[in-house]
Amino acid sequence: MTVFHYVLKRSIANKTSLLILFLFPVVAIFLPSGEYWPHLPYGYQYFGIFILFISLKLSGLILEDRMRGIAKKLSIAPISHFSYLAQNLLAYFLILVLQCLILVYGGVFFGKELYQPFWLLILFLTFSMASIAFALMWISFFRNKEISMLIFMSMISVIALIGGVLIPIELLPEVLQKVAITLPTFWLAWGIDWIIFGGEVKEFLLVNGMLILYMFLFLIIGSVKKLH
Amino acid sequence: MIASLNGIVKRYDSKLVLDYIDLEINEGQIIGLLGPNGAGKSTLIRCLTGMETVNQGNVTLFGDGKKPFQNKNKEKIGLVTQEISIFPELTAKENANFFAGVYGLKGEERKRRVAEALAFVGLAEQTKGKAQNFSGGMQRRLNIACSLVHNPKLLIMDEPTVGIDTQSRNHILQAVKQLQSKGTTILYTTHYMEEVEAIASEVVILDKGQIITKGTVQELIQNIQHEEKIKVEVSHPEEVSLANIQALPDVKQVIKDGNQILIVTSANSGHLDRILTIIKEDSGVVGINVEKPNLEDVFLTLTGRTLRDGGSV
Amino acid sequence: MMRVLRTIPYTLIRMSRDYITLLLLLVVPIILITIFYFVLGDMKNQYGDLAFYDTAQLMTLVFQLFGGSIVIAYIQDDLFSARRQRILVAPMSLPLYALSISLCGMFFSIFLGFLLVLFTGVGLNVEWGNVFWVMYIIALLAVLSSLVSLILIFSVKNIKLAERLSDVYGIGCVVLAGLFFPIPDYPVITFINEYLNPLLLAANAISYAQSNLFSDAYIYMFRLGIGIVITFIIVYVLGRRKI
Repeated sequence: MTVFHYVLKRSIANKTSLLILFLFPVVAIFLPSGEYWPHLPYGYQYFGIFILFISLKLSGLILEDRMRGIAKKLSIAPISHFSYLAQNLLAYFLILVLQCLILVYGGVFFGKELYQPFWLLILFLTFSMASIAFALMWISFFRNKEISMLIFMSMISVIALIGGVLIPIELLPEVLQKVAITLPTFWLAWGIDWIIFGGEVKEFLLVNGMLILYMFLFLIIGSVKKLH
Repeated sequence: MIASLNGIVKRYDSKLVLDYIDLEINEGQIIGLLGPNGAGKSTLIRCLTGMETVNQGNVTLFGDGKKPFQNKNKEKIGLVTQEISIFPELTAKENANFFAGVYGLKGEERKRRVAEALAFVGLAEQTKGKAQNFSGGMQRRLNIACSLVHNPKLLIMDEPTVGIDTQSRNHILQAVKQLQSKGTTILYTTHYMEEVEAIASEVVILDKGQIITKGTVQELIQNIQHEEKIKVEVSHPEEVSLANIQALPDVKQVIKDGNQILIVTSANSGHLDRILTIIKEDSGVVGINVEKPNLEDVFLTLTGRTLRDGGSV
Repeated sequence: MMRVLRTIPYTLIRMSRDYITLLLLLVVPIILITIFYFVLGDMKNQYGDLAFYDTAQLMTLVFQLFGGSIVIAYIQDDLFSARRQRILVAPMSLPLYALSISLCGMFFSIFLGFLLVLFTGVGLNVEWGNVFWVMYIIALLAVLSSLVSLILIFSVKNIKLAERLSDVYGIGCVVLAGLFFPIPDYPVITFINEYLNPLLLAANAISYAQSNLFSDAYIYMFRLGIGIVITFIIVYVLGRRKI
């Protein structure tokens, strides 16, 4: 688990990274609630976008390895491509788990109305898995960390808008609603609605199932291309 | 005389980087500036071109010691940077045009000089290609073209052949010789001894901020020709007593490298017999080679064989 | 001076070929504004105008806040990287060259703003009022954002940190304006939004002019102008030291 250990170290190596990773969930707890929408406080509504952003930032380490030729060195080392990726992704997931725990149970501690905090945590965790896999897929198309980040930043605002994070999906034209279904944020929004309004368990299982399906799909696409 | 550094001292905080450097660069010379890592070569270049101020001493450029770095003197200097410093998003022609404009070239003269500079470095057919799509060697050649476009009198080349293919490197060395034949004075820094041996009319070796020697390649080699280098290939290197060899008078250095023992002695010391006798006591002798010194030997003799960044051989 | 002027066409060519910047500051706002066009449809605001107009105007101004990133990128590229040596040795004034890059960045940002005004006005029928006034305000906003970016470059050691802080400036203005979530009515925040937040100063200058309340519009324009003067002085002092 050498790669896992060092990825964790590198992820929290500098103070700025540490600040971004762990301050935002704390700040998010204290963001206000909307009057009519969203039904969760804003920090929880926007947390999905934060997870996507952090997933990409963390997986930038893999791109850095590629840019610096470290991936090439590792490709001839006695570590399989699968093991290298798995250890990286596990490290990123651990960081996201911590953030989700801080956000959800911090909110419970400070008396925020989260309806069903445990299921909210589960939802955020499955979304985190899908996000990390999405980030892996994203970086597999790029050689340069800066460019991948900049293009993603431009995409993220569009994803946030049509994915049900910034405005309710029902307000979008039909065409865009159909497009929204293909985005993981759509399922996150649906899951949040289930947590707030309740419903059958199979609905929640469907949401999480779709996110896990997305995870496998993105993982397959992202790991097909060898990084060296 | 094109340029001179007189009594130059440069410090970064308490660290002395250049220690009373005196250097004259005469017209038409190619000066090869050598030195180990951290010797002060880049700092010397920066002081010579005005990128750094000096703590003591003065720099004279084109006879001007009062304001050496004014624009009329800068117009006559070209700098080929170690890192490739061109605009990747511009084409080769646009890059050359940019620097031509910066150096005051206009109109037809600019067009002519740009075409000449690109042709000179072998990029005449790639003028419309974007620099970011060039190979490493092509980018280095464009880097040089951008420094030549204004026909500088003094061209400073800071390791211009780092990391490029042999063809490009060869092209660059030929180009440097051509430039000299046209009257350009060149200050050339490199780690590759064979480059300096091939082109330099004078060699300056810098170490720990001081010029430890200068002269032509032949002069420098003759200075240490009082040394002989004997390479003995042995069958059992681990058995050979280096201390016994080192104890011989006139033996300067004894180094074991795999199954070879390298012995540096004074010239004509006549120790070959005794050295072989000592070695044969402990091991068989497979082969012997006596080497004539080259510039690399001069360099290593004067600057030592120890790694400069904390390592050891 | 002439030599610096000769570099300007090439700086502008470089900016026009920067596809990432065009994506971030032109394509993305076009996409977002168009989506809002369909979302908001015929919805009206409290004054009886289409709510979409306010959104389109605000989004156009929001992306001007990030125009300073263009200046940061090119200053970094030319003056804080390997190319710095070549520029230092060249027979031209370094401060003037830095100024030329900054002006090109500002001009490019204004041009992108103009394209957005054109798109929203012609393509989506947004009513901007007097286009010259709008472009003037957009220009002021672009200049201010660029000057803020220059202050960050010159006062922070790490250029990456300057870039991040520039993003914080942009996002901070958007957050304080209450565009992401409602901001509580604290006196400090009200003061900032009324006198300091360039996004709201510009938005108010445009919207008051549209309502023919020119004296109010001029007040907001004046506040933007004061901001520019103050930031310019800071840039001048810091820049001479750094460059």
